[in-house]
Amino acid sequence: MLPKFSYVRPDKLAQAVKHLETDKAVIHAGGTDLLGCLRERIMDGDLLVSLGGLKGLAGIKETADGGLSIGALTTITEVSENRLVRDKYPGLAQGAAEVASPQLRNQGTLGGNLCQKPRCWYFRGEFHCLRKGGGLCFAIKGENQFHAIFGHDKICAITHPSDTAPVLVALNASVDVVGPAVNRSIAVEDLHVPPAEDVRAETVLKRGEIITRITIPAPAPNLYSSYRKIRARRSWDFALAGAALAFAMDGDRVSRANVVLSGAAPVPWRSTAMEEVLSGSTLTAETIFRAARAAVAEARPLAGNQYKVEMFRGMLEEELRKVGKGGEV
Amino acid sequence: MTTKDKIYYREGLPVPETPDPENSPEFWRQTDVVGKPLPRVDAYERVSGTAVYPSDILLPNMIYGAMLRSPHPNAKVKGIDTSAAEKMDGVRAIITGQSAEAKNVKWKYRDQQVPLFASHCRFEGEAVAAVAADTRYQAADAARAIKVDYEILDFAVDYEHALDASAAKVGGKGNLLNEERYGRGDLDKGFAEADVVLEETYRTPCELHTPMEPHGCVANWERDRLTVWESSQGVYAVQSRIAEALDLPLSKVRAVGHYMGGGFGSKLWPGKYTVLCCLLAKKTARPVKMMLSREETYLCVGNRPASTMRIKAGVKKDGTLTALEFDCSGPSGAYPAGGVQLVDWLVRDLYRCANVRTSSKDILINAGPARPFRAPGHPQGAWALEQMVDALAEKIDMDPVALRLKNIPLESQAREGAPPYTTTGLRQCLERGAEQFDWRESIKRINGHNGRDNHLKRGIGVGACLWIAGDGGPPSTVIIKLYKDGSVNLNMGASDIGTGTKTVMAQVAAEELGVHPSVIQIEHADTATTQFATPSGGSKTVPTEAPTVRNAAISLKQALITMAAEDLKVDRDELNYIGDEIVWSGDDSKKIRITELSTLQKRGEVIGVGYRGPNPEDKVVNPFAAQFCELEVNTLSGEIRILRFLGAHDSGRVLNRLTFDNQVYGGIVMGVGLGLTENRQLDENQTGKLCNRNWHDYKLPTALDVPLVMSSLPIELDDPESNNTGAKGLGEPVTIPTAAAIANALYMATGVRFTRAPVTPMAVIRELSKKEKG
Repeated sequence: MLPKFSYVRPDKLAQAVKHLETDKAVIHAGGTDLLGCLRERIMDGDLLVSLGGLKGLAGIKETADGGLSIGALTTITEVSENRLVRDKYPGLAQGAAEVASPQLRNQGTLGGNLCQKPRCWYFRGEFHCLRKGGGLCFAIKGENQFHAIFGHDKICAITHPSDTAPVLVALNASVDVVGPAVNRSIAVEDLHVPPAEDVRAETVLKRGEIITRITIPAPAPNLYSSYRKIRARRSWDFALAGAALAFAMDGDRVSRANVVLSGAAPVPWRSTAMEEVLSGSTLTAETIFRAARAAVAEARPLAGNQYKVEMFRGMLEEELRKVGKGGEV
Repeated sequence: MTTKDKIYYREGLPVPETPDPENSPEFWRQTDVVGKPLPRVDAYERVSGTAVYPSDILLPNMIYGAMLRSPHPNAKVKGIDTSAAEKMDGVRAIITGQSAEAKNVKWKYRDQQVPLFASHCRFEGEAVAAVAADTRYQAADAARAIKVDYEILDFAVDYEHALDASAAKVGGKGNLLNEERYGRGDLDKGFAEADVVLEETYRTPCELHTPMEPHGCVANWERDRLTVWESSQGVYAVQSRIAEALDLPLSKVRAVGHYMGGGFGSKLWPGKYTVLCCLLAKKTARPVKMMLSREETYLCVGNRPASTMRIKAGVKKDGTLTALEFDCSGPSGAYPAGGVQLVDWLVRDLYRCANVRTSSKDILINAGPARPFRAPGHPQGAWALEQMVDALAEKIDMDPVALRLKNIPLESQAREGAPPYTTTGLRQCLERGAEQFDWRESIKRINGHNGRDNHLKRGIGVGACLWIAGDGGPPSTVIIKLYKDGSVNLNMGASDIGTGTKTVMAQVAAEELGVHPSVIQIEHADTATTQFATPSGGSKTVPTEAPTVRNAAISLKQALITMAAEDLKVDRDELNYIGDEIVWSGDDSKKIRITELSTLQKRGEVIGVGYRGPNPEDKVVNPFAAQFCELEVNTLSGEIRILRFLGAHDSGRVLNRLTFDNQVYGGIVMGVGLGLTENRQLDENQTGKLCNRNWHDYKLPTALDVPLVMSSLPIELDDPESNNTGAKGLGEPVTIPTAAAIANALYMATGVRFTRAPVTPMAVIRELSKKEKG
């Protein structure tokens, strides 16, 4: 059952910010998860601030340097289907296409996708867990087959649920944020908060702050980008293991590799170990083997998710084999 | 009149001969309406949203009920404080175990009688209090505001360790609820005769019923008469359980369930919530609606219990099965609910085997009690047996289809006296199924494919089954009314649980009466206005009700012939009912239109009453099936893609090809859930609570998980002994061999025997890396 709440739909950004400064105000963008969060009482909101009345927060346009600026209210469907996105960053289009189900993609927004609440069943269920202000992360010793193998620090083992965030991190994207004090720009890589820093927060956004645009710099020369996602069922599910690749290619040599994993950690997980193996290398079978191993070398699996180590390794091998082959093996 | 009624009758097509009142009808040799792929009679209502489900009922002054349930799997209620809740806006009644209206009310889990509110809650979700308020929100808020002082106890939720000495005791006594044993022949001798003996332990998960419409009801009292609209598979079961719980005569309880949004066995009877809804309605003197949330249904109103099955089997080199030994265990939940019911039945009865021994342990755990789940026990048993048969075939270097064909039974060996089946379609299901699936060529193709250096591996697999029931039988009573304009009303108590029962019954009546199915109006599933019927379950609704409808139609035709004899002044034995007219055999110009019969015109209507006759003596009526699967496994990522499925089903005569195929496809989809995705996860080591209580965490297969191509191959064998329509049950066999066929295909693809369902990408990766490491 939903709790009682009020609903406002301001038409000025400043008004929205003002509303959001009040205690227990929450943003309503696509709303695909907001109502669920309220119903399950994992979010204590009594004022829903709709962004639906704001002009100019949707749509995709090219920037002066040849990158893209995507409005935060652009639907996931539009991101996945937009020609500019598909031409410049196929990986982002793939990531968007892997989100949830068609209905949810039609309604959900890119900004909302970056700010999702975790899907951990303890967090979502009737468990007073650490992230909700309780004293314990139930996943560390509980049923953790879907949980993190990196970055949990035995504090909180959620995996970040977004499929677009890993790609945006790999593409060096940033978000424009409007807020009560100053407007700022944050690299997507710095947007999410690891549990060791603050177990109650998913993003660095402060009260009253709204993501307005997502900016992606111009594609690197000969950019290869991709996103791959494995899930327990083939639709309407979050990643068991996923990977965003963004490679600047020089012939068959990877001059610069960005690798960001999903389903791996409480935040989109940059695999610097794998990037180091790949950057400057040609993708021989041996490099692929070493790179995939390197990606999981530092994994800290829990009792129920050891399989993720092998799954990431296998999936990354498969993904690396596709590079330079038009996405086919 | 003579021309106006023409639109009601089919023209130029003969109707079946009307037997004399003392004779049984002939088996239909050919049919005109029966068997045709007619769209559902209520398709428009269902699709347009005008069909009124219990969730849609809205009565004047209706208020809403909500329940407070134990959040702990094992806890004693030490005290309940409702004072805050009582003062909340809109709250009209709160009932707890201390309330006068509930104190003496009992509920039954099988033969165990318990108070409506137990002071010791044995599972998460057990009822603690119920509230009625003006709105759903007020009721839910008030339930949350009730303060309960629980003494939290240790729990046992893992049935595989619930019999350990250290395990918490669910009911105060031991957790072994029951152990059943079965045996025939000499097992040692059987294993001694075998050339190959294999042993393996298989496991299936607990699956949760997920009907589209959750459980729930609306209750309304008119003075001392109670009406309950329940989302149910059987209104008479609702009537009797409520009458018993509230100590009311049956005549004072009316249960209605015209439409219902799926049940799969979990709605064969009402729940505590139904009784509480009735009590709240009485206390508030208002109609009360109480629909459960999805979370509540996942906790409280049933599941397919998990199972652990050790199977040992012996086979000769020529494929003769010599011995089957089977030990299984599974949990009823917190109360007796048939935790291992029928899990061993396929081992006992599917294949010819002289030496069989089984044991089944039903275990108590602190979790929601089971309820029947589409083909109780059978898909679990098939998961073990059908994989074992495949493993044996490999060991003796025999084709798995051929090994099954070698062991086809013609009698039910597990029943007393080994009575024969009226028909055993298993051979045809396997042979014709394999032929249409292109089984042999597919193996060659796949061997070639898998020989290449590629991480995408393919496999095909087969699974076979029978279903213990599907025969139907008495009791059933159906009334068919013919109005004076020639239109027809068919009145039966059975529920249409989404399978197309109403459509099929209209076809049977139309076949006999010679009218168009569209002029038949069906009244059903209402204890006040229709006839007694058992709940729609056990794949028995068609074989129970269709013969009864046929008998009712014949009884109507006999009554009309008697009336025609009076009007035409000839002997009734010399008259033939040919649809729109009754004609004298002496001279076909001497005839009368049905709608001109003087008695019909005088009375306004004529009725025919049909009763379900007995099943054949000393013979068994069971449906059989074989399903075939092709899939692809990504050995790097663990992903499985099902490419195609074929269901070859012997369920006797096909009464409607569309509803038949719907069942086959639906059963396969559900079996995919068991094989690949579904699993109730309890927080075993910490709280004992349910982890996956929503549709994200409890993974039903989606459109992308089900086979790209599904085909249905009916194996229509004439079965005149089964009943007067020759139709056997279908709704359950369709989901029995599915998961096992998938597992067998996975073995061909990967060389790994996946003994534990569901086989998720996680399981594939775990097993493949185990294999790699040796």
